[in-house]
Amino acid sequence: MTEGLWSPLAEVAAVLLASGAFGYGVAGAFLSVAAGRTERAAWGLGVGLALLAASVPLAFAAGRPPREMAVLLFATAAAAAWILHRYRREGRGAGRDTGGVRALLTPSSVLLLLLLIAFGVAVFALRALTEPMWSNDYLAIWGFKGKTLFGAGGVPGRLFTDPALGFSHPEYPLGLPFLFAALSFLLGRWDDHAMALLFPFLQVATLFALFGWLRRRGVARTVALSAAALLANFSPLYSAFLTGMADIPQAFVSLLFGTALVDALDQLDAFAVRRLALASALAVSIKNEGALLAAAGFLLCLVPRGWARAASRRAAAAVAAPTVLFLLAGRLWKGNPPLRDFDFGLLGPTLVLELLPRVAEAIHVAFREVILPSWPGLLCVVVLLAAGRPTPAGDRLVLLALLCALAYLLAPAIAVLGPDWLIRTSFARTVSALAPLAAAGIALRLRSLKAGAKGGDPERTAGG
Amino acid sequence: MSLRRGLAGGASGILLLLLLWGDDPRELARRARTLTRSAGTELAVRRLHGSATARDRQFFAFLESTRRRLPPATAGVAIVGVAASDAAVYLATYQLAPTPVLLAPLRVPPGWLLAVYGSARPEGWRVIAPVWGGALLAPA
Repeated sequence: MTEGLWSPLAEVAAVLLASGAFGYGVAGAFLSVAAGRTERAAWGLGVGLALLAASVPLAFAAGRPPREMAVLLFATAAAAAWILHRYRREGRGAGRDTGGVRALLTPSSVLLLLLLIAFGVAVFALRALTEPMWSNDYLAIWGFKGKTLFGAGGVPGRLFTDPALGFSHPEYPLGLPFLFAALSFLLGRWDDHAMALLFPFLQVATLFALFGWLRRRGVARTVALSAAALLANFSPLYSAFLTGMADIPQAFVSLLFGTALVDALDQLDAFAVRRLALASALAVSIKNEGALLAAAGFLLCLVPRGWARAASRRAAAAVAAPTVLFLLAGRLWKGNPPLRDFDFGLLGPTLVLELLPRVAEAIHVAFREVILPSWPGLLCVVVLLAAGRPTPAGDRLVLLALLCALAYLLAPAIAVLGPDWLIRTSFARTVSALAPLAAAGIALRLRSLKAGAKGGDPERTAGG
Repeated sequence: MSLRRGLAGGASGILLLLLLWGDDPRELARRARTLTRSAGTELAVRRLHGSATARDRQFFAFLESTRRRLPPATAGVAIVGVAASDAAVYLATYQLAPTPVLLAPLRVPPGWLLAVYGSARPEGWRVIAPVWGGALLAPA
């Protein structure tokens, strides 16, 4: 019997919606009552998908069917959500930042912005769903591992030890492959076309997280919607090519991480440290860039004078503990597969003279291939940055994105196949995954335009 | 309106236009047509007509046919008759997963089957199943 796309697509949509619904309940443990429905829905999908992905290794470890484990996890999550709902001390931690400006635009502009967001989501859904997931990295890495986990009903050791599978990067985290496998166990088959729906869902969740967080931080609705409209139509990230790869999930999680980090540092609500720990765990479970993000976040906790502040110490611990735990667990499980693309010998004293020209080459190629061709858009971003006013949280988010971008620019200097190759193959893609983080930071800086003109910094009212 | 707000509004508008400029309506229409036309077909047919197989659609048909004819618990499949390019290796490894795959190996590991793409039939092997564009063989 021939089975088309629509029925499996509806099944995947049902699984994703159910995951989000269960996650929505649990997300109450991570958000203050000040969080709106959109932000909670975003965290809810993050929590739901994390539970779904975790059901697979847990099932393998327990020797139970993954479908049964997923049901068990969601039942536990639902019970926990119910208990939380009953016993949670409502109103603990103000959470909502009350600074901000009036709407910059009229209600009809709000409608236009909503239409632009819907357009961006529809266009990405069309691109993501035109055909089964197909990019090289999907076939060689993420899809291959997910299909192997699903087909083998376990984690074959050869994924980490077989030299013939070196191209699949044994050193990469397994979060996304586990998620693919979990969806497949629930569907009862591997459908690499219907599963592409996961990516538009992640796009919508990212937009929800951005809008919800900006609103909670007191940004005017039209400014928050403008940021979401720009991000929804950001095709370098939301593209057919990146559908199936880890960059879109990483972009979502980076936003959750960044917003939780600045909330924790500003002591905006009592739950921010939990959110940060969760987001750190998610970040290192998806891509190696997640560890870099965590390292940059840790650095931001410590400077300037970070260690002297209890809030900074708590935030640093919330970043470091899950990151170290997950990285150690991965190392114990997988052994110590080397970072295949990099030659760390180039950082040693004997090769340092070779390193400097490679750094120059990386910067040169990045400018030639990525930065100069995108100059009109980058100029707009610079103008938006300049038009805003410094705010601690917004500046930290922008700095976090810049630190990561700088690392992506310089890391190719130690690429085994040369800086030119790694910049060409990954720089635009990895930097584009920082867009949600940058959008949140820039929009928050724009929030203070009017309030700042009066001489006040709205964030200070939030206890930052 | 202040200068800063004007700059912010102008830069946002231009950025949005730049992003929307990248959306070619013809590309979107083509995608919509492809999606609606192919949605009723089998998954393998959608894959066959997709981007991943564009380099050699015959090779994908061979792989899919091989996958369907593999005996249960096959230890691995060595594929000969195709150059071991990155694209071919990625597609074959993915399509036959979780079964281990080697392309154009010097030696076939013990217990593995041989999938020949093309009409060649190596000595010491017997055909256990014909597949599209080739054959699946086991040691004689």
